[in-house]
Amino acid sequence: MSVHIGEAAPAAVAGRRPAGLFRTVTRERRGAAVGLGILAVFVVLSVFAPYLAPYSTTDGTCAVYAPPSPRHWLGCDDGGVDMLSLLMRGGQTSLVVGFTATLVSILIGGAVGLASGYFGGWTDVALMRVTDCLLVLPDLVLAMVIAAVWGPSLFHVILVIGLLEWTATARIVRAEVMSLRERAYVKRARGLGAGDARVIVRHVLPHVGPLLIANTVLTVSAAIYMETALAFLGLEDPGVTTWGTILQHAFARTAISSNAWWAIVPDGFVIAAVSVGCFLLGQAIEDALNPRLKVAHLSARRWRLRTLAGKGADAR
Amino acid sequence: MSLLECVDLHVWFDLPHGGRVHAVNGVGFALDPGERFGLVGESGCGKSTTILALMGLLPSSATVSGRVLLNGADILAGGEDSVRRHRWRDIAMVFQGAMNALNPVKTVGWQIAEPMAYHGTARGARARARVGELLELVGIPASAADRYPHEFSGGMRQRLSIAMALACEPKILLADEPTTALDVMVQAQILELLTRLTGELGMALVLVTHDLPVVSQVCDRAAVMYAGEKVEDGPAERLGLAARHPYTRLLFAATPDLYGEERLATIPGSPPRLDAEITGCPFRPRCDVPTDRCADEHPALRPAGPGHQAACFRNEPQEPM
Amino acid sequence: MRSLEYAVRRGIFTVVTVFLAVTLNFFLFRALPGSAVSNLARVPDSSPELQHALTVRFGLDRSEWDQYVLYLKNLLHGDLGVSFTYQRPVSHLLLSDLQNTVLLAGAGTLGAIALGVLSGVVAAWRRSSALDHLNTSLAILTYSFPAQWLGLVLLIVFAGVLPAGGMSDQFLFQSPPFWRHAADVAAHMALPAATLILTAYGGYTLVVRSSMLETLGQDYVLTARAKGLPDRRIVWRHAARNAMLPMVTMVALDLGFVVGGAVLVEVIFSWPGIGMATYTALSQRDYPMVQGCLLILTVSVILLNFLADLLCFRLDRRVTA
Repeated sequence: MSVHIGEAAPAAVAGRRPAGLFRTVTRERRGAAVGLGILAVFVVLSVFAPYLAPYSTTDGTCAVYAPPSPRHWLGCDDGGVDMLSLLMRGGQTSLVVGFTATLVSILIGGAVGLASGYFGGWTDVALMRVTDCLLVLPDLVLAMVIAAVWGPSLFHVILVIGLLEWTATARIVRAEVMSLRERAYVKRARGLGAGDARVIVRHVLPHVGPLLIANTVLTVSAAIYMETALAFLGLEDPGVTTWGTILQHAFARTAISSNAWWAIVPDGFVIAAVSVGCFLLGQAIEDALNPRLKVAHLSARRWRLRTLAGKGADAR
Repeated sequence: MSLLECVDLHVWFDLPHGGRVHAVNGVGFALDPGERFGLVGESGCGKSTTILALMGLLPSSATVSGRVLLNGADILAGGEDSVRRHRWRDIAMVFQGAMNALNPVKTVGWQIAEPMAYHGTARGARARARVGELLELVGIPASAADRYPHEFSGGMRQRLSIAMALACEPKILLADEPTTALDVMVQAQILELLTRLTGELGMALVLVTHDLPVVSQVCDRAAVMYAGEKVEDGPAERLGLAARHPYTRLLFAATPDLYGEERLATIPGSPPRLDAEITGCPFRPRCDVPTDRCADEHPALRPAGPGHQAACFRNEPQEPM
Repeated sequence: MRSLEYAVRRGIFTVVTVFLAVTLNFFLFRALPGSAVSNLARVPDSSPELQHALTVRFGLDRSEWDQYVLYLKNLLHGDLGVSFTYQRPVSHLLLSDLQNTVLLAGAGTLGAIALGVLSGVVAAWRRSSALDHLNTSLAILTYSFPAQWLGLVLLIVFAGVLPAGGMSDQFLFQSPPFWRHAADVAAHMALPAATLILTAYGGYTLVVRSSMLETLGQDYVLTARAKGLPDRRIVWRHAARNAMLPMVTMVALDLGFVVGGAVLVEVIFSWPGIGMATYTALSQRDYPMVQGCLLILTVSVILLNFLADLLCFRLDRRVTA
C-alpha cells in the first residue's frame, strides 16, 4: 500500500488522540518561544538603537551606495549613511508606529465589540453593519487618501492606521462577549441588579483582556505593514526614518539602477521577521486561550488577514 | 474454496511519538457466497480496522500483515494498484457516517454512477437507468438522482449509501456500523433492507456492529472481537444462546432489550491498552469467571461445537461455563 | 427560492455598503478639516472663471446638504467632476486606467489563485513530505514580505531581462499588429503581475492546504477511495471542490488587500492604472481625480465581494446565512 490520502482515523487506535494533542501543544509552545524571541530581539535593538547603532544615521560615513564590507556590514545608502544603523533607527520608529496604532485600533475595536456584544439588538446591528462595510473597503487606498488629505506626519499615519485596522478586533471581541453574556455568573450578576458598567468591568473585561492581548500582537504586524506601504507612497513625514521610508528612499534615489540591493533586501527581511514573530506569538496565545478555535483553516486564514490586511478573522 | 478469506491478519498503527498499537491481532475468517457474517465488539476492538484492511483502505501510519484472499487470490499482495481494481467491483462498503459518506457538492445520482463508469460496468444513459433502478431498489424514487445529499434525512442517506454500494454489483458488501447514527425505527428498516437485498442479489454481507442481538437477527455466522483478537466465532444464534466466551455472554447481557424489562448489565472496566504486549488473556481483568491460567497463558481458539470456536480456558468439554 | 432570497439579501447589503462608501467619499473630501475639493485656492493655475465654473458645478456656494444632494445627482449621471490637472472629466480619464488595473489585478489574482490552489493541494496531498515543508515555508515567507519590497527585488533580479516600467514599448506605438502589441503588454505586465502573485499566493496556499487536509479526512473521501477511484480523481474531483469554499471567502476578503497591493505595484512599475492615477493625483493635489479613484476602487471591491458571495452560495448549496 504505497499512496495514502486521508487519515481514516480508525476508532480502534487507543491513545492516538492524546498523543496528537500533546504534539500540537509542544509545537505551539515552540512557536510562541520563537515568536517571543524574535520580537524581544527587535524591541531590544530598537530601544537601544542610539547606543547600539555603529554609525550616525544622519551623516554619511562611507561612499555613496558603498557595498557591504567588514566595516559596514550592510553597506551604505545614497547619502553614504550606514544601512545597519539606519535599519536600527528605522525599527525604533516602525515599532512605535506599530504599537501605538495598534493601541488606537484595540481601543476602538474593543469598545465597538464590547458594546455590540453586550447590548445586542439594534446597537449590535448598526455597529456590525459599519464594521462589515469597513471590512470590505480597500484599507490601503482609504488610508492613502486620508493621510494625504490630513498631510504627511507621523501622528496622522498612526491615527489613520488605528482608525482602519480595528474591524478584526471588534468582531472577535463581540463574539467573545456574546458568549460571556450567556454564562451563568454574568446572568446572575445582572439578575442581582448589578449595573451594566459594573458587569462589564467586573465580569466581562477580565475575560476579554487576554484575547485583546493576543489580538494586539497580531495587529502590530498589520500596522507595521500598513506604515511601510504609506511611507512608500510618500505619505510619511519626510523627517522620520522607518522601515517604510528606507524602502521609499531606495526606490526614489536610484538604488535599483545603482544595483544597490543592500539598500533594499535587508529591510524586507526585518519586516518579514517581525511579521512572523507577531504571528507565532499571537497565534500561540490565542490557541492557549481558546482551544476551540484550533481549526487549521481558521488559523491559516487569520494569519494572512491579521498580518497583512488586518481584517476579520471570522470570515465565516 | 471460500469467496473471501482473511488469514492471520495483523494491523499495527505507528504512534506519532514512536511506539505502535497492535490494533488487529491475528484475525482470520472465511466468507461463503451469499453468507451474512457479523463482526461484533466494543468500539476500539479493531473490527472497523479489520474491514478497512480488507480493502486496503488504512492510512499510511498502518502496517498490515496477513493475507486477504478473494476467490483464492491475494488482493493485498500487489499493493494499491491491484487492490484498487477490486474495490467496489468485488467488495463494496457502506460506512458508519451516513451524514458524511456522501460528497455534499455532488448530486447523489452522479455519486452512484461514478464507480460504474470507472469500473466499466455501465456508462451514459445505461448508467443513468441503472442509478434509477438502484434508487428504486432501496426505496427512493428514481427522480431523486438530481438532488444533493443534504436534501435527504439520515435514514434516506444511508439508503443512498447502500444504493451506491450496489452500483457495480459487488459480491461482498461490507457494512461498518450502518445503523449507528440512526434512530431505532430507521435502524430496523435499514437492517431489513440489507437482509432483503443480500438475499435477493446473492451478495455476501459483513456486518460490523457492537450490537450482538442485531447480529443474531441478521447474520448466519458471527465473530466476536476483543482487544484486536477474535475471541469467539460460530453460528449467530449459538453466540446468543450458548456463548462459550465470557465476553460474548457479557456483551449480550449488556445490550438493551427493546421489549424486555430486564435490568441492563454492564461490563466493568475497560479494554486494555494495545500499545504494549499483553500477557495472558486480554479479557482477564474484566472477566467474571477467571481461572488460574488466565494471568500467564494466552488462550487459543478451540472448537466448542460444530463451526463454533472460542478462546477461553473454560471452553473445555468437561467444564460447562 | 432560497437562493433568490439569499441573493436579494446580499444585494441589499451591497447597495447599502455602496451608498455608505459614496457618502464617506463625499464627506472625506468636503467635511474633513484641512482641505477639500471646496478649497478652490488649492486648484493649481486656476483662473477666477474656472473657480466660478467649479463653484456653480459643485454648488459650493450652497449648504453642505445641497452639495451632497448635487454630488449624488452628478454621480447618478456618471459625472465624477473635472480633473484640476487635465481639465477633463474624471470619468473619461479613469476609464482606460480602470481597464489597465483590471488587467493587471485580474492577472495577478488569477495567477495567485492558480498557484495557491496547485501548491496548496500538492502540499496537502504529500503532507509532511519535504515538498510540503518547502512549499509551506515558501508560502509563509513570501507573504510576510511587503508587496513593494517584493516588487523592488524582482526589479533588481530581472533588470535588463524584462521591461521595468510602463505598459508598452514606446517604439511600438504606431499601431503594431495585435499579437505584437499583446506580447509587448504581456512582457511589460510580467514583473508587476508576478509581484502581485507572490504577495497573494502564499495566503491561498495555506488556506487551501489546511482546508484540503480537513477535506481529505472526511468520510466521503474514504468512500471515494473505497470506490476504487485513482488518487488524482479523488483529490481533484472529490476533495478539491469542497476545499475551495474557504478559498473563495478568502479571495473575496482579500480583494481590498489586492487593490492595495495593486496601487503599490503600479507605482513601482509605472503601470498606468487607477493606483498610479491615485498616486499621481495625490501628489498633484488633484482632488476630483482622487475622489474619482477612491470611488471606483471602493465600489468595485464592494461589487466583487457581492459576486464572490453569490459564487460561494453557488458552490456550497448548504450555505443559508
